[in-house]
Amino acid sequence: MAVEDTETKAATSGLTIVNTGCCHDCGGRCVLKAHVREGRVVRLESDTGDAPQIRACARGRAYRQRLYSPERLRQPLRRVGARGEGRFEPVTWDAALDEVAANMKRIKAAHGNRAILFLPGAGNQGMLHGPTAPGILLTLFGGYTRYWGIPSYEGAMFASMATYGTIRTGHSRDDLLNSRLILMWGWNPANTIWDPETSLWLARAKEQGSRIVVIDPRFTDSAATFGHQWIPIRPGTDAAMLLAMAYVIISEKICDQAFIEMHTLGFDAFRDHVLGKDDGQPKTPQWAEAITKVPAQTIAELARAYATQKPAALVAGWGPARTAVGEQYSRCAAVLCAITGNIGMPGGYAGGFMRAYSSRETGHLLKKDPAQRVDKAKGIPSANPVENGALPRSDSLYKLSGGTNATSARIHQSKIWDAILRGRAGGYPADLKMAYIVASNCLNQYPNSPKGAQALKSLEFVVVHEQFLTATARHADIVLPVNTFMERTDIAPPWLGSPYYIYLNKAVDSLADTKSDLEICRELAPRLGLSADYFQQSDDQILRTFTQRRADIPDYDAMRRDGVLKIRLPEPIVAFKEQIADPDKYPFATLSGKIEIDCGHIAEMNNPRIPSVPKYLSHPEHYDAPLAQRYPLQLLTAHSKIRTHSTLERVPWLQELESQGAWIHPLDAAARGIRDGEAIEIFNDRGRIRTTARVTERIMPGVVNVCQGAWYTPDADGVDVGGCANTLTLDEPSPGGAFPMNSALVEVVSAAQTALEKK
Amino acid sequence: MPQYGIYFDQTRCTGCYTCIVACKDWYDLPAGPASFMRVKCIERGTFPDLFAAYLATPCYHCAAPPCMAACQYQAIHKRETDGIVVVDAEKCVGAGLCPKRCLKACPWGAPQFQAAPDAKMQKCQLCLERLDAGRQPICVEACPMFALEVGPIEELRKQHGDQPRAEGFKYLKRFEPSVTFKLKP
Repeated sequence: MAVEDTETKAATSGLTIVNTGCCHDCGGRCVLKAHVREGRVVRLESDTGDAPQIRACARGRAYRQRLYSPERLRQPLRRVGARGEGRFEPVTWDAALDEVAANMKRIKAAHGNRAILFLPGAGNQGMLHGPTAPGILLTLFGGYTRYWGIPSYEGAMFASMATYGTIRTGHSRDDLLNSRLILMWGWNPANTIWDPETSLWLARAKEQGSRIVVIDPRFTDSAATFGHQWIPIRPGTDAAMLLAMAYVIISEKICDQAFIEMHTLGFDAFRDHVLGKDDGQPKTPQWAEAITKVPAQTIAELARAYATQKPAALVAGWGPARTAVGEQYSRCAAVLCAITGNIGMPGGYAGGFMRAYSSRETGHLLKKDPAQRVDKAKGIPSANPVENGALPRSDSLYKLSGGTNATSARIHQSKIWDAILRGRAGGYPADLKMAYIVASNCLNQYPNSPKGAQALKSLEFVVVHEQFLTATARHADIVLPVNTFMERTDIAPPWLGSPYYIYLNKAVDSLADTKSDLEICRELAPRLGLSADYFQQSDDQILRTFTQRRADIPDYDAMRRDGVLKIRLPEPIVAFKEQIADPDKYPFATLSGKIEIDCGHIAEMNNPRIPSVPKYLSHPEHYDAPLAQRYPLQLLTAHSKIRTHSTLERVPWLQELESQGAWIHPLDAAARGIRDGEAIEIFNDRGRIRTTARVTERIMPGVVNVCQGAWYTPDADGVDVGGCANTLTLDEPSPGGAFPMNSALVEVVSAAQTALEKK
Repeated sequence: MPQYGIYFDQTRCTGCYTCIVACKDWYDLPAGPASFMRVKCIERGTFPDLFAAYLATPCYHCAAPPCMAACQYQAIHKRETDGIVVVDAEKCVGAGLCPKRCLKACPWGAPQFQAAPDAKMQKCQLCLERLDAGRQPICVEACPMFALEVGPIEELRKQHGDQPRAEGFKYLKRFEPSVTFKLKP
């Protein structure tokens, strides 16, 4: 095969190279260069330009097979069978949109806008495309009910806001070189990316002498590649280990007393809890060993190293916070950073939400006028008429600026299915009659998929914007086929917040009869009686407007031409540098202006399940709960390295890379007569999935891992043969809004055994 | 004649498979058995004392390639300019007429056959077209960890050391594979 990628050959062979990027809801956002011939993408390359190169991973490199997948939706569909059965007929766009508009108007007239549930996702979202336009359309239509809470990070975000008053608590990755010690706590960037350059900087840090310790129930690729030491920990017990580390640090007087006095609030209450003065239980390493399965000596040694080998970075991953009381772990981690004084200095780290740079933010760019500030206790203003003026949730951090929207008009995302099924009678703010779903395979990705299927079946009308016939789309009345980022112009801001932007130049025309979400809204607006001037601007005009407010995008046209804008920083980003250097001039964004070890805002909630100083708490699906007698294994639902959530599931190049089976330890497998590669069923009271066993030493005994994102596919008996992890997860948030995706108890049996029992 | 070869930093490889997919995309290989680049996972130990590593396995472009010796149709040869081992699709008679002797001869499984019963041998040719155009092989440009390098093997050995050992790799001196590693401790 001849190579035709050089400039000169390209000109003569009819090949053009379009600078675009990869833009799904993974931990990246990477450069892709699409080689286009005769209107088709024929190859992809990634960043070959200046350092730092933003190189796409296997997921991005496989995109051509997703773009041209025979399974991609090519025309609008109307349901003909029962909802969820997956039987559809193709219809014209006019027929589909007429039907959507008629149902929206009918439901609005009969039940009010509150009955319209909008479920936006991040599966197909850039700065412009994705759920933005549908959200504006629904606002103009009179409003809608939506959710609060994001499965990825809600616990970490709550803790970040409570402790620091901000989510900007991260350092840029180049700063890892300044760390003598790096604790990767439940953090697996080798698979989850966590901004594209992270793994490379970790490798460099290790090569130049940083010591790296990985705390994780699994011997992950990150543990295998970067870790000098791997400390397996029982899921959901991270807070206990962190408290025991605090015990060692406090009792051995190796905490940073000057830092604590200068920058924190409430240390005494925390110390008293750690030493057991409030509850009679000193949180010793021996105490924690019984809970965490981490040897007491290991805990004590790590504590001493972390407190004395400064600067040390405790990178508190989000996975351990995706648990039933997840915010306690994130709060404990942040407090440990504070009492050791590892904050505000190069090589340190503050835990928290861990955003480093503003490329995903818009709010901070608007001048904050104190006169415009509202007393949210009297009602929170919103452009959405349905929620405008609603009082704040009593369990929210509403007095702070930023973080999760505190309005009580929203329903926690994990309770959406319950809210659909029970409505106002169940204590929810609305009786929901229709769902408008965009870029979200919510049935797959919200907890408790079986309940979700029941809920979607109960609605009067469901419309889904999708690229594939996902589990969610199968439950629609109308499916509107959406194009991909290769087929439109957009900007991809980095996932968490790194100093760059990727400009997604349209590479090819939209496949078949697909449209962007924006184009759909353009055509739906007049059918709803809306003029919708906003939707008439070109993509380019809208993107120019969006970027005008950003001081770090000085030359829009250059960014568009190059496909990427890398922002040069004079030095690594270090969170809270100013607050530590000059605390009088730069207070923390908390109510007290200090790092809140004891958080007054939480204290006002007066809820023992969310104490004002962080604690280790059990819960009804913990390893020590009565339910563990019936379901003795703890389920983890980690991220797969060959998918992005449920996106990219149907890509053969990715599917063939590795088995999607469940990780189970040889001891647990042997006790159940299960061999490697064998079909197994994993179940609890919520549901049952079928998958294959991957028997491996790389997971601790008592734990099974099913990577989330496999497609929910119930068979006639209700067994999910697709192996969706959320068939098993609990739909109940933590008091701080965390999702308990890693807090389900399960049992595992061989599928052969189940088949025998049925006979 | 400078012999071209490969440097692989096994300490950096996270097993992300990007090299595999980038190669399949560049050469438009379907999902299936043929993959010019393969990544092997090596796992050792019992909980909690574990070791895991990944080995990127393209063709190592041996100085004395066993595949070349095994092919009775002279379909495999070494390029004079750089010693890259290439296959001549016109001379290869395909799996239907020849029992994949090249594949059986190669200790590292470099010769590849697609699923069709008469599939001809294909293999990693070190992206020689890209090299000729002054570019690096696609796997080298794709690796997010910068763990792969391609060039004259003596230069690579000078730069990175001459390390014939890697986890999961069996060095066979008689074939003189053109590869040097950074070994994962």
